[in-house]
Amino acid sequence: MDKNMCNINENLEENHEEAEVVNRIFRVESDEELRPLSDAENPILWMNENADLDDDLSFPNISNFFHRVDSNQILYETKKRQLKMIGKYVMGDLLGEGSYGKVKEMLDSENLCRRAVKILKRRKLRRIPNGEQNVEREIKLLKRLNHKNVINLVDVICNEEKQKMYLIMEFCVGSLQGMLESSSEKKFPLHQAHGYFTQLIDGLEYLHSMRIIHKDIKPGNLLLTLEGDLKISDLGVAETIDLFAKDDTCFQGQGSPAFQPPEIANGVESFPGFKVDIWSTGVTLYNITTGKYPFEGDNIYRLFESIGKGDFTIPGEIEESLRSLLLGMLEKDPYSRFSIQQIRQHSWFMRKPSKLVSKEVPIPPLQGDSLHRMTVLPYLEDHYYEFPTVEDDGSEQYITERELNEMNKNSAEQNNGKALVTQNSKRKWKKISCITIRSIPGCKQS
Amino acid sequence: MTNFEEDISVYEIISVLGECFQNMATVNLVKHLPSGQMLALKRFHIDKMRDNIYLVEKEIILTRQLQHPNILPCYSTFVHGLEVFVLSPLQAFGSCKSLLNSHFNDGLPKLAIIMILRDVLEAVSYLHKIGLIHRAIRASHILISASGNACLSGFRYACALVNNGKWQKAIHSFPLSTRPNLKWLSPELLEQNLKGYNEKSDIYSLGMVCYELANGREPFADVDSTLMLVEKVRGCAPILQEFPITEDNDCDMPPNFPKRFSRYLHEFCYICLKREPRSRPTAAQLLTNPVFKLIKKGLYLPELLRPALPLSDKMAFNKDEIASVDLTPHMNEIDMSLCNWDFHSNA
Repeated sequence: MDKNMCNINENLEENHEEAEVVNRIFRVESDEELRPLSDAENPILWMNENADLDDDLSFPNISNFFHRVDSNQILYETKKRQLKMIGKYVMGDLLGEGSYGKVKEMLDSENLCRRAVKILKRRKLRRIPNGEQNVEREIKLLKRLNHKNVINLVDVICNEEKQKMYLIMEFCVGSLQGMLESSSEKKFPLHQAHGYFTQLIDGLEYLHSMRIIHKDIKPGNLLLTLEGDLKISDLGVAETIDLFAKDDTCFQGQGSPAFQPPEIANGVESFPGFKVDIWSTGVTLYNITTGKYPFEGDNIYRLFESIGKGDFTIPGEIEESLRSLLLGMLEKDPYSRFSIQQIRQHSWFMRKPSKLVSKEVPIPPLQGDSLHRMTVLPYLEDHYYEFPTVEDDGSEQYITERELNEMNKNSAEQNNGKALVTQNSKRKWKKISCITIRSIPGCKQS
Repeated sequence: MTNFEEDISVYEIISVLGECFQNMATVNLVKHLPSGQMLALKRFHIDKMRDNIYLVEKEIILTRQLQHPNILPCYSTFVHGLEVFVLSPLQAFGSCKSLLNSHFNDGLPKLAIIMILRDVLEAVSYLHKIGLIHRAIRASHILISASGNACLSGFRYACALVNNGKWQKAIHSFPLSTRPNLKWLSPELLEQNLKGYNEKSDIYSLGMVCYELANGREPFADVDSTLMLVEKVRGCAPILQEFPITEDNDCDMPPNFPKRFSRYLHEFCYICLKREPRSRPTAAQLLTNPVFKLIKKGLYLPELLRPALPLSDKMAFNKDEIASVDLTPHMNEIDMSLCNWDFHSNA
């Protein structure tokens, strides 16, 4: 990325003497944001993405270079998507971004299992309070956990040279938060919510049995696999109770404000830890069944004031048994708040609501792909096959931005939900059996 | 039916037949002393299996629920010491994979392939009817008895289409244990996207088995798994080679080479390997495929498999060795690798 930035700057600098930027090639070299040229997207945005503005480099002299450039004078070089390997994993596209860094898709080249990878940069971690400590603790925690409803850490790869760390996890297709946001009512039908809630309780019970307080239960941290299994993720602020501790007393709350219990909102010195998770699970249940939050405020002080009082209303359409469960979990006094056992024995938990009501909220599409296909495949294809584009006469190697715009327009029309690979160049598989990719060892420099 | 006691002392271990379960388990030829029957005994060492022991458990539980002439039954299971023992009838020809390795390096005869495929299809059709996907149909999981009856085994990879009492439209699971079977798996299963896969995935694997039996080599042999994935997703599938594949021959058809396979067999393989699962026929539909009309009355699989001999005949030839005390070294000499059950050469 940095290199890419430099490239653009260099180009601009070279142009300084020239009156006009003509026939300059803006190299698109980033390993991160390479897209097929047919990707229906605003080309200006594309350039910006490549520049990766959030990086450390500043733009000392960018304002000196406001040249007016016609769109047919900006050239793009058609470039092969470069296959990038991290250990035995093939890198795919971006899945999401967090404060700690990016989450990308990966493919295990040995067992062909899809994976997700959290890429952590030491440079970025240092800027977050307790960043490095939290990551270390999370890794240690995840390594000893093994439950169907808790995210599984598959592998950890460190690259000292690049100051990067790769946390390779189970592949998930989306979070409950993302699904809620994409739905019209911002909530799930009851039977769907019930399914997630029971899995959440299973995972939470396991965490508590391992003496772990998650402290940040919320729809954004609840992920779904392809099979529809819920995975509790992001144990960045989780706390482990000492093996010899008398009880689950905690002194610190670190989660998202809207999901914090009254005892933390009121700034109580110590409080029972497991009940923090019960509260935020209660807020989560409230949120996914009503589409609202029990407590709201314009700012964190107002919010904490409202939570501290502990008064909230439940919409009238909520059935009686769910209402009583919510009241039990959102009980202001942590000692009389429900325990996991009480939740399990509650009538709403034990009886699955009927499915007749409405359709389930689906997992929203990623980059327009509702099937969430492997994003690694295009990289592999470019790696294994050479498409006959440039060999004819070198001139086709570059396309202007105007052409790109037209191509985008065309492909946007054609590309309505069609398969990403056209099988125009069918080849017998036998012929290429000589190609191997194992020759790429370890981490490749980008 | 004979009662097979759950007690190791009533079985006399005659020899080692081979290994199974990615060479983590041993298969012994045993004699049931009360009845004098010869049987196959799989031995799983619990410590050696580690996390895979749950797969053994799964296989036993599932196999016990199945009943079909073309599915390898489980007569008895028991634990003795640190080992789990699984008793099943002796499959005298061993697995199709071992037949290919020992006698048919360039593939089985046409009619033998068709007869084996029919038996396997009967089993697959039965499985799909009761809502199971096998997910590991491959030559090493097809065993052949002395009478020429083909049996499907390897149920540890199977999964149910029925979940919570409901018939699922699609399955999404991709267990890591399926790794040894990647080459036979369908593109939609390997893709791991929200579309999922269903029982048609088994039909694709059956097409791969057809190729494997006909050409004597594993599909996508010597191809990187990532390349195989891309190829499958692009809709490329292997086709039956009319002439034996050798190291140095390029794809030049020798002149006047007699056709090994019938048009029907080519078509059978082709429709099984269609990229789009919906375009593949169901197991029940495939049973009515014209290719099976080629099986005429009086055809006998053991005869088609000559010069391979069933185990009992081999034993007859080598009675002296069997009688001797120190068995195993001798058994190795007389090429008992023929009975490498469940052979996984490259896991």
